[in-house]
Amino acid sequence: MSLFSLNHISKSFGGVQALSDLSFELEEGEIFSVIGPNGAGKSTIFNCISGLYTPDEGSIQLAEKEITGWAPHRIARAGIARTFQNLELFRYLTAVDNLLLGRHIHMQASLLRILAMPFRRSRAAREEIAHRHKVEEIIEFLELEAYRDRPVFALPYGIQKLLELGRALALEPKILLLDEPAAGLNNEERQDMIFWIKDIRDQLGVTVIVIEHNMELVKDISDRVLALNFGRMIATGQVLEVLEHEEVRKAYLGEIPETT
Amino acid sequence: MKLKRGYFEDIRIFRNRASRFWTFLFILVLALLPFFIKAYYLSVINLMALNVIVALGLNVLVGNTGQISLGHAGFVAIGAYSGALLMQLGLPFVPALLLAALLTALIGAFLGIPSLRLEGPYLSIVTLGFGLAVMVIIGRMDVFGGRTGMSVPKLKLGWTGLPYDTALYYVFTITTVVLVIITIILLKSRIGRAFQAIRDSDIAASVIGINVSHYKTFSFAISAFYAGIAGCLWGLYLQFVTPGTFSFMMSIIFLATIVLGGLGSVTGSVLGAIVMTYLGLQLENIVGVPVLGDVIVAFSDSLMNTSGIANIKWVLTGLILIGVILFEPMGLNGLWLRVKRYWRLWPF
Amino acid sequence: MISQLLVNALVAGSIYALIALSMSIIYKASEIPNFAQGEMAMFSTYITFILLSVLGWPFLYALAGTLVFAFCLGFLFEFIFIRRAKEPNLLGFIIITLGFQMVLYGLAGWKWGSDQRTFSLPFSESEVVFQTESVVLTEHNLASIVLAILVMAGLYLLLEHTNLGLAMKASQQNVRAAKFNGIPTNRILGISFGISSIVGAIAGVLVAPISTLDPSMMWDPLLKGFAAAVLGGMKSLHGVVIGGLLLGLVENLFGFYISLEFKSIVAFAIIMLVLFIKPSGLFDKHYVRKV
Repeated sequence: MSLFSLNHISKSFGGVQALSDLSFELEEGEIFSVIGPNGAGKSTIFNCISGLYTPDEGSIQLAEKEITGWAPHRIARAGIARTFQNLELFRYLTAVDNLLLGRHIHMQASLLRILAMPFRRSRAAREEIAHRHKVEEIIEFLELEAYRDRPVFALPYGIQKLLELGRALALEPKILLLDEPAAGLNNEERQDMIFWIKDIRDQLGVTVIVIEHNMELVKDISDRVLALNFGRMIATGQVLEVLEHEEVRKAYLGEIPETT
Repeated sequence: MKLKRGYFEDIRIFRNRASRFWTFLFILVLALLPFFIKAYYLSVINLMALNVIVALGLNVLVGNTGQISLGHAGFVAIGAYSGALLMQLGLPFVPALLLAALLTALIGAFLGIPSLRLEGPYLSIVTLGFGLAVMVIIGRMDVFGGRTGMSVPKLKLGWTGLPYDTALYYVFTITTVVLVIITIILLKSRIGRAFQAIRDSDIAASVIGINVSHYKTFSFAISAFYAGIAGCLWGLYLQFVTPGTFSFMMSIIFLATIVLGGLGSVTGSVLGAIVMTYLGLQLENIVGVPVLGDVIVAFSDSLMNTSGIANIKWVLTGLILIGVILFEPMGLNGLWLRVKRYWRLWPF
Repeated sequence: MISQLLVNALVAGSIYALIALSMSIIYKASEIPNFAQGEMAMFSTYITFILLSVLGWPFLYALAGTLVFAFCLGFLFEFIFIRRAKEPNLLGFIIITLGFQMVLYGLAGWKWGSDQRTFSLPFSESEVVFQTESVVLTEHNLASIVLAILVMAGLYLLLEHTNLGLAMKASQQNVRAAKFNGIPTNRILGISFGISSIVGAIAGVLVAPISTLDPSMMWDPLLKGFAAAVLGGMKSLHGVVIGGLLLGLVENLFGFYISLEFKSIVAFAIIMLVLFIKPSGLFDKHYVRKV
């Protein structure tokens, strides 16, 4: 049985069909890419999975559990973390606080215990310290040491992108949704991003879904690809197969060029 | 470079030895003060303490969680009246205080429910309406003495062996210090972080697993809890409460307090409350101020109206609100941080 | 009796609708709930009073003078304060409007607050225009309804049939696109504030004879206006008019049949109820944030 499956999902906004009858399954530990032209409905998939939208039809399952219609915070707790196309960081908090917020779902101390936090041996203090250690691991993993105590709005774009990835990782998710991780990055930063995404899968064993326009990145990292146009799946399978697929080329280029 | 750090430093109340030293010194001064100053000044400090408590709670809601309340005087009123009633019924002070605060918190949570679905402008209108409605309802209820108000029983503080004013001063300052510490801890914890996350991006907060509606309601409840405590003490301070005490303008002055002090900062709440209280008292007898008073009287005579001079208070509060937002959005706290940075670098 | 109730409801509703309209014009243009609206109207009403009773102008001149003053007040408020906000966010704007509200309240109290004023308008609350067994229509009633209709018609013409109206609509829809197309969006916003202030001033002049002329005279009407605006959906002009009339009706029915004492809370109850059931108001589309 697969780790995650999307079954016949449809979603429309006031007459515009953003997704229609979309299905796919994920195996544990794979990197799955979703490609398609602008407005094909890619981000809508993520918004449905993470609970920001409720699909009109269809169901979403995670590890045999039905999660359709759950509130976003429950879905996060169930093990799905995500990043956003246009960065949704906590701008006035420091990098460390942003990452600590990623640990939120693993923290348990109740209000009363928290009040005892100033005592080093209190349970809340020990918990907090343990999570700060975890966050430090992520900082090391993504090489963010230099930025740890700076407020997010003062950080360069590439670093913010990385930080958002780090925050999602801090949740220790089973599935990670990356919405255009390479958008706005320069060549070098993009290479680093490819390296990190692979690392996340290889070292942490996280299953990854990526939405991306950059074909170099898609080719490089994907185990499987799904191509989307006007909310419909037009092809799925191995990377090269899909990229060579006639309809995919038509969707991207408008018409079929003569291949030489 | 790798520094082995103890992460406990990050969650301690005091960031370093110096700040701990100054804080303890400050508390010591507070403790010894009654033996050196007149009762009038003690009551000034009491009033400051009340404003600090309200400001702390309001700042958690507005500055940290990013919600808004234009009806906080309503919460203070609920705390004052319910506290007074409970004490009249013979409940001892501490349980009455806590019960009144819990009741206020409950109402706060209830008012927070619309905030789950509402963006800023609508929420501000709801809270504004709430503040006004509370006063109307209390003013019509006979248990609370209607429009004439009700008297608040004095505390039985004879066992302390201190004069009543001094004992009351200790009740106020101890409560305030405890609440300041609780606020600092709370904001350093996962709860405080969740509040700030909601303020900066509620969507991101929800997808990292924060139950946004839960925390927003909770923030309202905490904020109302503080206001409830302040209210209960306010009753003791005035010894008689009327619906008119807790007006719409009072709510705006609370807001002005935290805006002036600095949104989202505990230091800001304390500074703002102290300064606003002081200003408020000074403005009440502004005519008595040496040179300025004469100028104002002359100005009033020629252009305005001498009998309306008390209204300068509102003009100034308004100007403070506008001025802070236009020129120093971080308020006194921002100013303080900048001065500190300047002196750290001085004289280079 | 019921017909008298309807007349009262219509009069109150017209005034609420005017206040709600003034609120809504600014909200549409800038998404700022203007808490200074009431005090701006109050201040303008004092100007009418001075022109009329102190300087002895004829009513129409005094009204015209008031409207010019109100426009300037609104325009300058936007120009001097709103535009200068450093890090403009909603909270900052709300605080600025609250600050302005306090300044106006304080100034009015300082200058005029201590004296009781009697306000003699050409339409009085005690003169009856029309009377049957069941209905009494006073001059003030009639004037309120007529003025409200005139203002609404004027606004309709302005927004739907002039270039200025078109430019206002364009800036509401998309500030940047409007700016690129040569619309001076800043000035348009200032003008919106001015127009809103005019509408508020007319409401103020209508409120003064039935309450007393004092600095806090608009507090209660302001909440009613907000309630009407929320009821109708802050961004829909025809919605807030209907909201105002509806509020007038509900309030009067409640006052008559249930409790006169708690009549003033009806507005708040309505706000709560509407926001619980349909947060965007009865006539506004629900807005979903995109990510």
